[in-house]
Amino acid sequence: MRTLVSAELLKLRSTRSAWIPLVVALGFAVLAVIVNTTAAGRNGNPPLSAGMLPDLLRGSGGKLVDGAVLLGWIVLSAGEFRHRTSVTTFLGEPRRLRVVSAKLVAAVLTGLAVGLAAEALSAVASGVALSAQHVPLHWGDPAVASTIVAVPLLAALHGVLGVGLGLLLRNTAAALGVALMWAFVIEGVLPAVLGEPGLTRWLLGGTADAFLGGAASTATTLSAGAALAVLTAYAAVLAVGGAAVTRGREVGTATG
Amino acid sequence: MSTIAIDALTKRYGAVTAVDRLGFRLTPGRITGFLGPNGAGKSTTMRVLLGLARPTSGRATIDGRPYAELADPMRHIGALLDPNVFHPGRSGRTALRIVARPAGIPDDRVEQVLDLVGLADAARRRAGGYSLGMRQRLALAAALLGDPETLVLDEPAGGLDPEGVHWLRGLLRRLAAEGRTVFVSSHLLAELAQTVDDLVVISRGRLVAAGPMAELLGRTEATSLEDFFLDATAAPSTSDPVRSL
Repeated sequence: MRTLVSAELLKLRSTRSAWIPLVVALGFAVLAVIVNTTAAGRNGNPPLSAGMLPDLLRGSGGKLVDGAVLLGWIVLSAGEFRHRTSVTTFLGEPRRLRVVSAKLVAAVLTGLAVGLAAEALSAVASGVALSAQHVPLHWGDPAVASTIVAVPLLAALHGVLGVGLGLLLRNTAAALGVALMWAFVIEGVLPAVLGEPGLTRWLLGGTADAFLGGAASTATTLSAGAALAVLTAYAAVLAVGGAAVTRGREVGTATG
Repeated sequence: MSTIAIDALTKRYGAVTAVDRLGFRLTPGRITGFLGPNGAGKSTTMRVLLGLARPTSGRATIDGRPYAELADPMRHIGALLDPNVFHPGRSGRTALRIVARPAGIPDDRVEQVLDLVGLADAARRRAGGYSLGMRQRLALAAALLGDPETLVLDEPAGGLDPEGVHWLRGLLRRLAAEGRTVFVSSHLLAELAQTVDDLVVISRGRLVAAGPMAELLGRTEATSLEDFFLDATAAPSTSDPVRSL
């Protein structure tokens, strides 16, 4: 399994359309701190304070990191079929569920690594920005620790979502289209169309926000624990679906 | 040495029967040409043998086991099914390392096969910029990575220039001389006539002839492999399901 995971990580490192979004997301982790600290105290924004540190860390590692990991693993998983590299992949390891498992492990590792890197960059940038304004840094704040755990975990779950979606649809454009439609149409429009604003808390974006924010349960928000459970269920459904499709379908052309 | 056996293999896609009760065995140390018109079922047979497609009925085995049950498949069989199986953005070297890694094949071996197929100088270039002949050589390098006992090659000469075809012929001869089983499909009959020892000819998914090439041609009035092929594939197919070479 280690060699399979290593091969999947090599695919990531050698596919620009997969790793460039990750680098951009890491750059944004720093940029977000600069923008947020610069805007503090202006145009009605609250001034810099010791309590801002967890928010700065969340703002750096949030949806952009999740989106980049999701995008990267959609590109890598669906791309196997687009570029027909699935042929060499399954010739090397014909037990396809092992290949799927390796992709999932590699996606989790990617999410954890990128999430931690985003938080590390964000912590350094926040430390510099807040210290420059003589704002005390409370690294021992429980919200800081929970954010540093939640961001990588969320990114890892989005890696699993990307692998599952990519394997399920096997078409990069379709998988990216579904992901974008989900994020911008389903999440935003569905609760309004159905007249169920409380539905938001069960959708991906709502559960991710609830988990990252560490909120208590309300009418429109799940508790952090419940949100993590729902997110994990989404990831598990897509991963199992992707694995089932990958196991059952034939690879290559059908003509003689 | 691996024994390849196709036993009463049938593969259907809906109403279309791509392979129909096909049976034959391959002899180690010999090059077997796999011939048939377009759509005869050659690629499908190879894909079933390599576990990329499931048989509707019958079996395709290597040493009595399906490909998917081999512990270390790349060391048993090296396959070239299509030159377009590499990510265009990856270098030839990286593409091979990705193929090699799951089998525990070291990077040194990647360099060896790149050298063997004449791509050492182009190893850092992206596969998307390779000519068809270079992609064909890269796919052949991937097939050779595990130093396999058997090679399954689907149209390996496609895209190769005359020098490349000559080189390929010598390589296949050398591999067979080392005791390996070489199973090669091609439409280049004049080239095959210079390369293969045995023939398996199929038409509409069915076996129409199998055996040593000299023996098969000797039984007919055919003066060339092309004449033999055209006669064999024009005639009604045999119902004999298994022929041993």
